[in-house]
Amino acid sequence: MARLELSDISKAYGETPVLDGVSLTMEPKEFIAFLGPSGSGKSTLLRIIAGLETLDEGEVRLDGERIDHLPPGKRGVAMVFQHYALYPHMSVRDNMAFGLKNAKVPRDEIETRVAEAARILEIETQLDKKPAQMSGGQRQRVAIGRAIVKHPKLFLLDEPLSNLDAALRMRTRIELAQLRHRVDAAFIMVTHDQAEAMTLADRIVVMNDRRIQQVGAPMEIYSRPANTFVARFVGSPAMTLAPASLVASAGPFATVRLGDGAEVETRVRGNALEGEGLQLGLRPESVAVAPAGAATTVGKVELVERLGERTLVYAHLADGLPVVAEDEGNSRVRVGETVGLRIDGSAAHLFDSAGIGHHAEAAA
Amino acid sequence: MSGARDWRGLLFVAPFLSLYALILVFPLFRGMWLSLNRVDLFGDGHFVGAGNYVRLARDPVFSTSLLNTFVLTLMIVPVLSVVALMLALALNNAGRGAALMRGIFFSSAVLSVTIVTLIWRFVLAPDAGLLGELWKSLGWQPLAFLSDPHLVLPALALTTIWWSLGLPMLLFLAGLQQIPRDMYEAAALDNASRWRTFWRITVPALRRTIVLVVMLQTAAQLQIFGQAQLLTAGGPSGASRTAVLFLFETAFGRWELGYASAAAEILFLIILAVTLTQYWATGRAQGER
Amino acid sequence: MSASLERGRLTPLGWAGLVLGALIMIAPLAWTLLLSLKNNAELVGHSGAALHAPYTLENYAAIFGNSSTMRWLLNSAIVSLGTTAGVLVLASLAAYGFSRLEFPFRRTLFVIVLLGLAVPSQAVILPQHQLFAWLHLHNSYPGLILPGLVGPFGVFFMTTYMRGIPRELDEAAMLDGASRWTIFWKVILPLTVPAQSTLAVFTFLGTWNDYWWPLISATHSDMYTLTVGLAAAQMNYAQTSGLGYLMAQAVFASIPIFIVYIVFQKQIVSAMAGTAVR
Repeated sequence: MARLELSDISKAYGETPVLDGVSLTMEPKEFIAFLGPSGSGKSTLLRIIAGLETLDEGEVRLDGERIDHLPPGKRGVAMVFQHYALYPHMSVRDNMAFGLKNAKVPRDEIETRVAEAARILEIETQLDKKPAQMSGGQRQRVAIGRAIVKHPKLFLLDEPLSNLDAALRMRTRIELAQLRHRVDAAFIMVTHDQAEAMTLADRIVVMNDRRIQQVGAPMEIYSRPANTFVARFVGSPAMTLAPASLVASAGPFATVRLGDGAEVETRVRGNALEGEGLQLGLRPESVAVAPAGAATTVGKVELVERLGERTLVYAHLADGLPVVAEDEGNSRVRVGETVGLRIDGSAAHLFDSAGIGHHAEAAA
Repeated sequence: MSGARDWRGLLFVAPFLSLYALILVFPLFRGMWLSLNRVDLFGDGHFVGAGNYVRLARDPVFSTSLLNTFVLTLMIVPVLSVVALMLALALNNAGRGAALMRGIFFSSAVLSVTIVTLIWRFVLAPDAGLLGELWKSLGWQPLAFLSDPHLVLPALALTTIWWSLGLPMLLFLAGLQQIPRDMYEAAALDNASRWRTFWRITVPALRRTIVLVVMLQTAAQLQIFGQAQLLTAGGPSGASRTAVLFLFETAFGRWELGYASAAAEILFLIILAVTLTQYWATGRAQGER
Repeated sequence: MSASLERGRLTPLGWAGLVLGALIMIAPLAWTLLLSLKNNAELVGHSGAALHAPYTLENYAAIFGNSSTMRWLLNSAIVSLGTTAGVLVLASLAAYGFSRLEFPFRRTLFVIVLLGLAVPSQAVILPQHQLFAWLHLHNSYPGLILPGLVGPFGVFFMTTYMRGIPRELDEAAMLDGASRWTIFWKVILPLTVPAQSTLAVFTFLGTWNDYWWPLISATHSDMYTLTVGLAAAQMNYAQTSGLGYLMAQAVFASIPIFIVYIVFQKQIVSAMAGTAVR
């Protein structure tokens, strides 16, 4: 069973730090996404696991054994590169067989494995072609095939969907999800696209600024973001963060006032919060377009995005704060209008002055 | 992990580098040392410091050879560059006629200097040569190109230009092909005349290539040797002795290795200085725009 | 219209000039060819006889019967092929090291190689001559081949080309368990074939036509290369009256070069043009 452990990994390029004390334990056969913006350190971390970069401090263990001092070929790890890195002068078959030949695997075993991978990936007819003769999607499958035949304990995927157009991306997402169940290995995927991470991963490791910001299942990351960075990075359109101040409230939950005077009752426990530097976090589904009587506040509409089943309304509150609201698909809202917005505080989040997230308690 | 890799990389570059060090780097420094000594065939030398250089400065044969070299270079490089550019402009299209012409104008460049001098000896020779026959058929007295001190340098220049057209022409063709078409289309829309288009668009766009051609050819012609040795043996009376021919005669004719090394070092410095000056001057002119 | 200057549509005057120029280019070659096809005796004193029939191939026959010319041809072939093979091997190995491996002093060493490009051959020829005399390598094939192997151009050219090969391929190969040597041999080298052929042709031509080093190093006439032999023949012309024969030797020496030129035209053009696109 493949079980990866990262302990306290740090790395710097000369004077510039790129990773700062990163630790993680994976479950066997887990599919993890390293999610973060460029410069967060996610790609470097992947390359350290692969053995393409060295770490300055820390350890990498696979199944309890240290692998961080082993050459890449001997770690039991396979990688699918962002641009596939197929050997242009070799046929598909040779591309896949190359690693096995280097490991001195017997010839018939190589043939069996190549045939099996080709079958799984449906590229049996392509085996004698060269990469240049294939489409992008096919090349990616060859890259995956090259990884599969090694029977690795751990698959590393570097931005697997970034190069693909929208239609192919959907298809490949499905294929990756299926692949995952046919193969006995753990997966680590690096991506900057939160939608990809949300759909494919068992757990997401959100990274920013050289550190892990949060680790958790997709829904947990979405509904209970640990800090403002995660809150805004995951979920599209991004969560609105509104500066707010505590006002006196009747029960155990905090009530806050926004910059334009509107008051929102949340279900976040108030005792842990200080009055200063708070931000109220609202996802678009918590803000609805409502007639004046039922509205919490008003906003001026800047942009209307019609998505078919719903409409996103980008508006400004009286104090200039940008807000994203949701309305039904056949909404009549127009740009320039002033509309009433009803804020549903029961799902709202509060972020304290340190950016830490405090979340609503579920109704009993 | 990378500790073990670090030194092994050297194994790949070692074969080349060891030969390089032995056959190029060591001789380079040894040559400088030799130039400070009086050395003859048997290798016995004694240190004379700057003595060889002083002697060179006073040596009229050497200074004449330098002068000849400069004159030749000045005769060859501008004409060569202009003609090559004109050829490239004229032949910059895809037709088969143009391809044939390009082949013809390039063909001389693949020949060795000995073949070229052999051919031209019998073009230039007054009694047996092609030009001689031509002159005679026109009723004129054939010109003694190779034995007239006033004609010998132009004759060498002509030979060299004939020989060297190919490479600059190719370089200009490559440079021309990199000029985007829309620049010309914009000029056409602006009603620019051919001449204006040429000066304002083509030449500036070719700037780097022109500089490269001039630099390469200058360096090459400062080292001109085979034509002088074979066509005229530096004559008549040293009128066509070039710097490298001087070097050759001193080293392998008179076996004065130290003296010849000093001449070689001076030539090296001249080439370096000229090349750097050209590079710097054109870089500056560009910066001032 | 105004683009025609650049696209080569010429006025009739331009075409006339071009044709004239082409004739001037060809005339010396044609003259040489004609001379080579004449009986030697006819040409003495009247080289104009070349313009009239009868023509004969006897000079060429004499060449094939003349062992020294054939020997020179053999020498040229061995030296050129040997140098070309040597350069390809050494430059590829070194370029792999410089472009893809990390080792101490890598940058310094590369700069030292680059600086060699600025050194003209005259600055090193005399000490090289001494060196090879000490090593007793004059008048030998190794003596003629070795100096040609140290030109920095080959290393520079191959390094530049190899730098264009994406690093990801090396990384994929590392994950495939390949050693540095395996990556060189099985991944990188096959991808450099276009550059190899360009460098090969360039080196072959340069070595074949080299007049400088073989002149100095090969003093026995049986070690002359074709280039040097032709020069010697030229200088001895005064002692012989074989003008036709001499010209035939010139034509004969040109044929291999023209064959290489025609067959490898593409590589030659790209080798030359490549120096411009630096």
